[in-house]
Amino acid sequence: MTYSCCLVPRDVLARLSSDPSLSATSRKAFLDTIQISHEMRDLRVQATRMTSVAFAHATALTALALAPSVTIYDCKGTQSLPGTPVPNPGKAADPAAKRVFGTTSEVAEFFAKVFGRNSIDGEGMTLMSSVHFGQRYNNAMWNGLQMIYGDGDGQIFVDFTAGTDVIAHELTHGVTQHSLQLDYSDEPGGLNESMSDCFGSMFRQWKLKQDVTQADWLIGADILGPAAKAKGFTCLRDMADPAGRHCLSPQPTLYAQVRPGMDPHAASGPPNLAFCTAAKTLGGKSWDQVGQIWYAALTGWGARPKTGMKDFAARTRQLAQTMYPGAPPVAAAVDAGWRKVGL
Amino acid sequence: MDRLTIERIGGFAGFGGSRLKSRGEVSLSDLAPADRDAVERLLADLPGSAAAQGGAAPRTGAADAFSYRLTVQSPDGPKTVEAPEHLVPSAVRDSVRDTLD
Ligand SMILES: [Zn+2]
Repeated sequence: MTYSCCLVPRDVLARLSSDPSLSATSRKAFLDTIQISHEMRDLRVQATRMTSVAFAHATALTALALAPSVTIYDCKGTQSLPGTPVPNPGKAADPAAKRVFGTTSEVAEFFAKVFGRNSIDGEGMTLMSSVHFGQRYNNAMWNGLQMIYGDGDGQIFVDFTAGTDVIAHELTHGVTQHSLQLDYSDEPGGLNESMSDCFGSMFRQWKLKQDVTQADWLIGADILGPAAKAKGFTCLRDMADPAGRHCLSPQPTLYAQVRPGMDPHAASGPPNLAFCTAAKTLGGKSWDQVGQIWYAALTGWGARPKTGMKDFAARTRQLAQTMYPGAPPVAAAVDAGWRKVGL
Repeated sequence: MDRLTIERIGGFAGFGGSRLKSRGEVSLSDLAPADRDAVERLLADLPGSAAAQGGAAPRTGAADAFSYRLTVQSPDGPKTVEAPEHLVPSAVRDSVRDTLD
């Protein structure tokens, strides 16, 4: 006699196991079935747990495998690239090397977790950086292949690796190169710079777990040196107030003020203000909705090197509607952002 | 014709704006012959034509690099060219001083 543990309800089996009209052998068989049924249920629960745990670990393993390598080189005050490899940079004695390794890894994590992007190129490209570039060098840059950081002169600027927004800014130039491929002059140049400031600021806010009201929206606040601070400057650029007196590099606030040939670091003022205004109008975390729209506009549109600010504004307005059709305040916030700068 | 004035512009910080400057000056005759040749080649070119010099332009996608605005006085008045940092000799690059205006 066989019983299917899955088809006969437990209470029926229990009743049969104590039915005096049945033989002792049969009652014992029903009792055994209850026991087997119980064990089988335990097994199913275990199997479900097993699957769930295995899936969680498999996902983590895949994510680990997809995380890009981060390599650091030391130029030792020269301008020869890439410089000498820094072994085991996560434990380097040199604070700049250690800092760039840590922050670059976190920026990679930011792009992976928040935007689902694996490194600069979306395919796990190694993130390569050189520190101590040049002598008292007041700059950080992306040369098309890698990030480069100067030590600063110690007066106007300190070490450029001290700014988490600076590091994310440079990495974002790589993302732009591998997505919209914006030119580096005129309006596309201003947009290119703005993308780097937007994602640089978003990364800083994400790292500090700040919402849009807690964020300071400053760019380069952590790399200003004593001479700049003594003159009352608190940042290079302020996305919320691009023309502010506290900005070492003030920018225009209106689209109508952007001129052909303008330095992209000046022309980025209006799109920076548009992003900041949109995020602040909507509230919450900048990367949750408005950041997602900007990311989709940057990466989901193919290569369009000549994209102007009007085109980009129209694209984000359209994306706000299609990505968040049930949330009219999102589209309204994006619209408010662009209107603020005259677009 | 001998005095070369230099302004470094751009970079992450946006040098060359109203508050942040980077300027220098050298005499062409003080430069090593190879450096003087390099500067004269840059000056002989039209502004913006550095990219035409055998693929010496910055890589596609590069950003935040410095440029140098080089000016000499000529019989026809001042002549200015802009060149990417990697084309400018180090003796010229190193002449600039960063200042807050
Ligand atoms: Zn930049």
